[in-house]
Amino acid sequence: MRKLPVYLLIDISGSMMGDPIEAVKNGMQIMHSALRKDPYALESAYISIITFADDVVQVVPLTEVASFRPPTISAGGGTSLGGALSKVYECATREVQKSTSSEKGDWKPLVFIMTDGVPTDDLTKGLNIFKQYKWGIVVACDAGNGAGLSALLQITQNVVSLDMTDSSSIQAYFKWVSSSISASSQKVEDANFDDSSDLNELPPPPPEISLIIP
Amino acid sequence: MSNEINPNDIVKTKAKDGSNVEFVFKDPKQGGVKDVYFAPDRSEVVAFFRNPLDVSGRERIEKIVTDYRSRIYEQAGGEYWKECFCWPEKIVEYNGMTGIVVPTYQNCFFFQTGNLAGTEKEGKWFASPKIYNRFVPMEEKGSLLGYLRLCLKLSRATRRLHAAGLAHSDLSYKNCLVDPQSGNACIIDIDGLVVPGVFPPDVIGTPDFIAPEVVASTGRQREDRILPSQATDRHALAVLIYQYLFHRHPLRGGKIYSQDNDVQEKMEMGEKALFIEHPNDKSNRPILDDNDDICMPWVDVEKIPYTTAGPMLKTLFDRAFIEGLHDPAQRPTADDWEDAIVKTSDMIQPCSNENCVKKWFIFDNSTRPVCPYCGTPYKGILPLLDFYSSRNGKDYRPDNHRLMVFSGQSLYQWHTNRSVIPNEKIKKEHTTRVGYFSFFKGKWLFVNQTLTSMKNLTTDQPVPIGTGVELVDGLKLQFSSDTNGRIAYIQIAKGT
Repeated sequence: MRKLPVYLLIDISGSMMGDPIEAVKNGMQIMHSALRKDPYALESAYISIITFADDVVQVVPLTEVASFRPPTISAGGGTSLGGALSKVYECATREVQKSTSSEKGDWKPLVFIMTDGVPTDDLTKGLNIFKQYKWGIVVACDAGNGAGLSALLQITQNVVSLDMTDSSSIQAYFKWVSSSISASSQKVEDANFDDSSDLNELPPPPPEISLIIP
Repeated sequence: MSNEINPNDIVKTKAKDGSNVEFVFKDPKQGGVKDVYFAPDRSEVVAFFRNPLDVSGRERIEKIVTDYRSRIYEQAGGEYWKECFCWPEKIVEYNGMTGIVVPTYQNCFFFQTGNLAGTEKEGKWFASPKIYNRFVPMEEKGSLLGYLRLCLKLSRATRRLHAAGLAHSDLSYKNCLVDPQSGNACIIDIDGLVVPGVFPPDVIGTPDFIAPEVVASTGRQREDRILPSQATDRHALAVLIYQYLFHRHPLRGGKIYSQDNDVQEKMEMGEKALFIEHPNDKSNRPILDDNDDICMPWVDVEKIPYTTAGPMLKTLFDRAFIEGLHDPAQRPTADDWEDAIVKTSDMIQPCSNENCVKKWFIFDNSTRPVCPYCGTPYKGILPLLDFYSSRNGKDYRPDNHRLMVFSGQSLYQWHTNRSVIPNEKIKKEHTTRVGYFSFFKGKWLFVNQTLTSMKNLTTDQPVPIGTGVELVDGLKLQFSSDTNGRIAYIQIAKGT
């Protein structure tokens, strides 16, 4: 059965301590319960959570929705975004089945990155590794009033921002992540079956999330 | 989620037709292009388009709530369509947004049990082997009869749209709610209707349902693109019916065209699309591996081949996925499906295994009578009736319609009289049975309840109302002396 891998990279640095990290935990619960009632997600989505602070840890390996449990996380430390990018490359290379001449591989992985600050490690190094993989849609979410924007725009053209002090916007973000896993109608203009990996292929983000036009 | 409504959130306004509309302006359900708000009593919803409509989009919804709506609902049998479509009824303008008022879905289209209770029964739940086997609660899986009925409803609804000169353009399991328990189906998201030459499509469809010629033309210049039409609706309808009967996709098999996912997708759904059960080209047969245990037996086309749907539907699947896959003009119409499903429903037999997941199976006497779903053989003998009718009351020709008898089965006017057709226009007096079949003291009987001029042609004796006639091999029965009355020729089939 072909998997649709979904990697969530979550910043748990010191600045996320307190309300933001609680909102993220709550957001993951909401995402989980939405996915369990979505036949598309139940059929093929596999979720992995990678957290980054001083260290980068894959706290949940790629797991099918029915067996997924939101992890316990706590905040503290720096913002190793570069490390997170090389980590997700390493995980995908290991966990995602490539097509062979005799067997269809998994779908291209979706990547959702959420950070509230400036990277404290070597972003370029991580970015170079990250770009070697053929991802599906990569969405980066700035949750820190633009602090991490310039870094995020180097990773992907799909950047959104949300107000971290508002827990409902974090919930809305996770709801949006879960709805992006469902199939939807293809607009006449968008359907090209090419390398397109832009946001038009996802449901429109909720009003709590603003799109950043690079 | 709280069900309490804050009165301050209720918006009271007027629709364009002057009628009152109320909705709770809070926590919309977000669709692809619309935000949906419920009425306080949840009897209807107001769906606002997130982006302003252009002139033609506005004109389209105007037509849908007026002309197109009356074209369907104000005809003979109009009432019938209320449960087949969630048709937009009114237009609302509010805060600069344009919205449509649509009735809410019937209760049968929400799961009733388990942790899915309250979730919409979109078709996907019943179209994927893994989801159907593992996540749909046993008591909501429905029987084969339920799937045949819901496919009949979908075919009828599509036939009606097409007869009105419309095309849906995005038939998919997201846009068709189904209930295999009651055998109901409802087409939703009508606001994207396509009218050839008037309103072009906004979307090319949903992956899995987009016709191969449309997929193959993506990436070309706009004027060289092939866009949704009635012909592509016919492809989508065939895919839906196949998926509901077999819980697998007819084109997603094991054949590899490219190691690049995007190229593979465009080939397997587009110019290289190939039926997984093609009798001569077996290169796209699904590859079974260990992961698929949860998907059995549906992914195994040897265990549950499409021929288990009986000869009528087999012929149409051949036309849809072999002859017509790349030749849209060959595809069966919605009428073809409707007719074939009605006839196929007369070929079903109850499975004697009470734990059988499908409860019924289709048996036309051309194979050994065994339930394909659980392997239980049919025991005993069963009569089958082949119907004949005449245009002049003298020469009788076969109707290509066979009835496989089971105990307690009913016979209706649409069996006994060729002028009666079981569709939305059927008169109420034609929906009660005219007789029934019963296995009594080792004999199969037909009991006449209302047929006034029925005759046993073998003995040339009348069969009066309230009497029975034993069904034996070679018996000929005439149900009515009317010119449109049918004759049945009876054979006796043996089980194991």
